[in-house]
Amino acid sequence: MRILDILLGRTRPVPSRLDSLFAISTAYLTLTADLGLASGGSAGVCFRPIDSARFEALGADLQGILKISGEETGAAIRTATDSYGFQWVTVESSDFQELVSTIHLVSLTLEERGFGDRLLAAVFRFLDGERPVYWVYSYKRGNFYPFAPGGAPGQRDNARELRLAAAMGRELPVEREIERWYPLWGAPV
Amino acid sequence: MRTRWYGGDTGLTVRMFVTMSLLFAIYLAFLAVLFWAGVGYITVAVVGGILLLVQYLYSDRLVLWSLGARTVSPTEEPGLHAMLDRLAALADLPKPRLAVVDSEIPNALATGRSQRSAVVAVTRGLTERLDPPELEAVLAHELTHVKNRDVMVITIASFLSTVAFFVMRNFAFMGFYGGRRGRDQGGAGAFAAVYLASLLVWLISFFLIKALSRYREYAADRGAAIITGAPSQLASALLKISGTMQRIPQRDLREVEGMNAFFIFPAISAGSVMELFSTHPSLEHRLARLERMQREMEGRIEDPGHSSGADASGPFAA
Repeated sequence: MRILDILLGRTRPVPSRLDSLFAISTAYLTLTADLGLASGGSAGVCFRPIDSARFEALGADLQGILKISGEETGAAIRTATDSYGFQWVTVESSDFQELVSTIHLVSLTLEERGFGDRLLAAVFRFLDGERPVYWVYSYKRGNFYPFAPGGAPGQRDNARELRLAAAMGRELPVEREIERWYPLWGAPV
Repeated sequence: MRTRWYGGDTGLTVRMFVTMSLLFAIYLAFLAVLFWAGVGYITVAVVGGILLLVQYLYSDRLVLWSLGARTVSPTEEPGLHAMLDRLAALADLPKPRLAVVDSEIPNALATGRSQRSAVVAVTRGLTERLDPPELEAVLAHELTHVKNRDVMVITIASFLSTVAFFVMRNFAFMGFYGGRRGRDQGGAGAFAAVYLASLLVWLISFFLIKALSRYREYAADRGAAIITGAPSQLASALLKISGTMQRIPQRDLREVEGMNAFFIFPAISAGSVMELFSTHPSLEHRLARLERMQREMEGRIEDPGHSSGADASGPFAA
């Protein structure tokens, strides 16, 4: 089917994979205990809206679901649109498992409405001492990669990222192709 | 079944399939004639192989070099890179290199023989004239070319056409080296047949390749709309680009005319050539298709007769 799609120039939206998202839940212990990272207390899910009234309807539904979820757990949930036209749902909570389950809820809601392919990434914020480090979940690939902003704006601390990836290789499905470690600058997380 | 938010285009798929089949049939017939005439098909294979290899290996660098494109790093163009990053991630592609051409003509192109070595180039004129969402749509169009491996498809599709042209041009040479052994009374008859076959193959494949190229453009437009979720932004970008194109003096345009097949928009003013000869569909046709996609996304298909079967009912399938 792949070859036929190439020959006939058919584009199919890449479906999202939610199956490995919970891997960060179990890896959390190693991240904090062995690697000395602390949860940054926030996470976000980033998706690309489509120009359609049907998608706007989804937005309203999502707001309702999140409001209920937020009231139940006490997590602060916000939505934002970034400068690239992508939408974010961000969660703030001191309980890391809470963050993961809210991110999963948002992803699942989009997928159930048939907009699963619109999901781009989920971002979990950690702190390495004072500096933020992010673990990014790629919905297209179904795996994680680290994103560590460096000192100067627009600079990545590649050495730290490689070290983190190597250390977590056993516990997290880590993206092997480093050319797919897309940075997410200015993430509202 | 989940609801799909985008509609299919069976018509386009069928047309592309028919074009490719015809091309394949023509090439087979051409090879049969060469074989029958006993004309040095070994020479043909060697020469063709070298041509294809050179084209395949160097076309990307050649195209970029001839345009004066310069690859830019994320620190030089953080905004463009970030935009491309996200689109590539959505399309599940490894990150292509980004190049910028110092030209006032707003245009973009994708080249590279594989997804890994792909380069997406944009001109300064494009980044200056388009709004970010429009620029994004153009980048997504180019990324779809990368995803569909259009450089490879068109290179392979034009391969035997190039050989036919070569045979036609260097006919005496081919006959001399190929040694028409085993054909006692072949002589002038076989000579004429091969020449005629080459001419016909080149002529017919010319139009077929142009048609294929146009279908690939439609496909890239569709892909861009599916990646960005906003067909209207691409339509708006195409309008802006074409509007500027027509006001650019001809001299500048001719310099880049050879690169037309790789551009998002050909560097020839619309309406000056018949669409049949063009690598790109007309603006009106592209806009009409994008408009139809936008309608489908809203779940309102007004003429279900246009595309057939399951695809037309796509957005309604519960």
